[in-house]
Amino acid sequence: MGRRLTGYWFTAPAVALMVLILIAPVIVAGFLSLTDYSLGNESANWVGFKNYDKIINRSTYQKMFSASIIYVLVVVPASVALGLGAALLINSLKFAQDFYKTIFFLPVMAALLAMAIVWEFALHHSIGIVNEFFESGCGTIAETIFSFGWIPFVDGAETWYGRHCAAGEFPLWLRDKGYALGTICFIGIWQAFGFNMVLYLAGLTGIPRELLQAAEMDGAKSGWERFRLVIWPMLGPTTVFVVTITSIRSFQVFDTVEALTQGGPSKSTYVMMYAIYEKAIKQNLMGIGAAITIVFLAFVLIITFIQRYLVERRVHYS
Amino acid sequence: MNMSSYHYLGETWKHAILIVGSIVVILPFYIMLSYSLKSPGEIERNEGGFFGSQEMMIDERCAKLREPDQAAIDSARQRFTGLSDSEIYKALKAEIDTECSVRPIIFNYTKAFSEAPLLRYLMNGVIVTVSIFVVQVIVALPCAYALSKLRFRGREFVFGMVLFCLLIPVHAIALPLYIMLAKLGLTNTYAALVIPWTISVFGIFLMRQFFMTVPDDLIDAARMDGLGEFSIVWNVMLPTAIPALLAFAIFSVVAHWNDYFWPRIVVTGNRDLFTPPLGLREFKGDADGSFFGPMMATATIIVTPLIVAFLLAQRKFIEGITLTGMK
Repeated sequence: MGRRLTGYWFTAPAVALMVLILIAPVIVAGFLSLTDYSLGNESANWVGFKNYDKIINRSTYQKMFSASIIYVLVVVPASVALGLGAALLINSLKFAQDFYKTIFFLPVMAALLAMAIVWEFALHHSIGIVNEFFESGCGTIAETIFSFGWIPFVDGAETWYGRHCAAGEFPLWLRDKGYALGTICFIGIWQAFGFNMVLYLAGLTGIPRELLQAAEMDGAKSGWERFRLVIWPMLGPTTVFVVTITSIRSFQVFDTVEALTQGGPSKSTYVMMYAIYEKAIKQNLMGIGAAITIVFLAFVLIITFIQRYLVERRVHYS
Repeated sequence: MNMSSYHYLGETWKHAILIVGSIVVILPFYIMLSYSLKSPGEIERNEGGFFGSQEMMIDERCAKLREPDQAAIDSARQRFTGLSDSEIYKALKAEIDTECSVRPIIFNYTKAFSEAPLLRYLMNGVIVTVSIFVVQVIVALPCAYALSKLRFRGREFVFGMVLFCLLIPVHAIALPLYIMLAKLGLTNTYAALVIPWTISVFGIFLMRQFFMTVPDDLIDAARMDGLGEFSIVWNVMLPTAIPALLAFAIFSVVAHWNDYFWPRIVVTGNRDLFTPPLGLREFKGDADGSFFGPMMATATIIVTPLIVAFLLAQRKFIEGITLTGMK
């Protein structure tokens, strides 16, 4: 009888929820981005592309884009490279593979908000363990080594470590606009690279041993040659996926910014998700928030389409 | 240098690099645990190693609350006959100090639960994550079954819709969702915390791929036995899907237990609905210098359940979290 109808019954709830929860909001956001809507106001004015105009031209939003883009451009390559490096190293070990794997995966499991707050402690300018560690190295052999004065033509007193040792103080990290975004990036990398490592480890097990042996017989004697000629191309699909997912996640960075810097100092960490939160939820400027949402979705779609394109071409780039 | 010692050297280098990396990765966990055990003074001065000295410390707030006033001095005069007021004050103060001394570890962990309703937050976390997962499965399983095993017009269209929706990250459309929920008067409810996550297109996709591998014979046999489609989903398909479901459960629970963004948006002010990360954030907002210990204790309590579960079932967890890798 109604096996055909059953199909509709079984998919109906999912379809309804997809429309209501995922598709309708995109349309609603697109619509609201053209108004000056705010919650509590029953009427909203049609403002055309004014919100987008603001996003493009106002310096606040230019800072927002640069913070978000810098964050992505730092966190993605760094966490992908570290993930790959860790995977290659761990994969080539004779023992303790699981030990390192477990440790590097811990940050992926822990609530980022909690760990962000702990990092804030570690980076605290007076009681933080990081600056204390740097200070304890001053005046010892560590200063000699890491101020790099031993490299010809490098003035040890002018390098980062040398200068801060001489001044007797180290950066305020999250409170210094020159360092805040970098510090937020660091926490992002710390959190993300274990995930990438695990994906790369899975990718590495997929490379047939015979292929590596064949490459070796054909003259790829050094580890680097084998990596360049076999491993890296074979990891192509993994890399495409890892880069995509890390990019999308990095665009969504919020927890660390909200808890530690609130977009400051002087908007240096004003990333897009935080901007949406601040403008729309805190200041009730729904139009602007919706416009940022649409731009945000556009970024995500672009990244995904690039991925699909690369996957479809089955790129094993060399 | 012969081959084996060359290898030995290489191996040592690899371990050296990985150990340095491990130290950086472990550092915040070490700090969190260590600070949750120490007294404020030890945190401030950075001393006492990992466990701190665990010497008795005075709970400043407790002492301040019981600060003897004139009435207390007057009523204590009988116990301390012949002493001047200031001497009685000192004696009372000493008594209070002993009453208010505690071991730092006890202080931190009891404060974590008494300063804020942490137990309530944890319970909220459990309620929200479990409800989300259960609803996700109830919605996704029949849909995945229909998409893989039933023929009906529009099936390809629905599957195309699933693939399209995979492109939309829920966090990105938080704002319109928030407005819709606010219009329905649902902000600051459990419903607001759960509703946006009830549909997991990823879950549908995953289960569909899994059901494709289940032989049709199994379903035909069940139909012969007179089972309806509904009971086929729950009594035949569900049991075969347990491994995939378990991985999906881990994926879902980890994501929502740790989520901070969405609860931050839909729960404003009403502490009764706070999830663990929100509770910790509130603690940070209120905390003054002497409360770093209890705050770290709170962080430890929030992070521990998943970390312990992970350590117990690592392979399952890594499989679950990297599920997205199958897309």
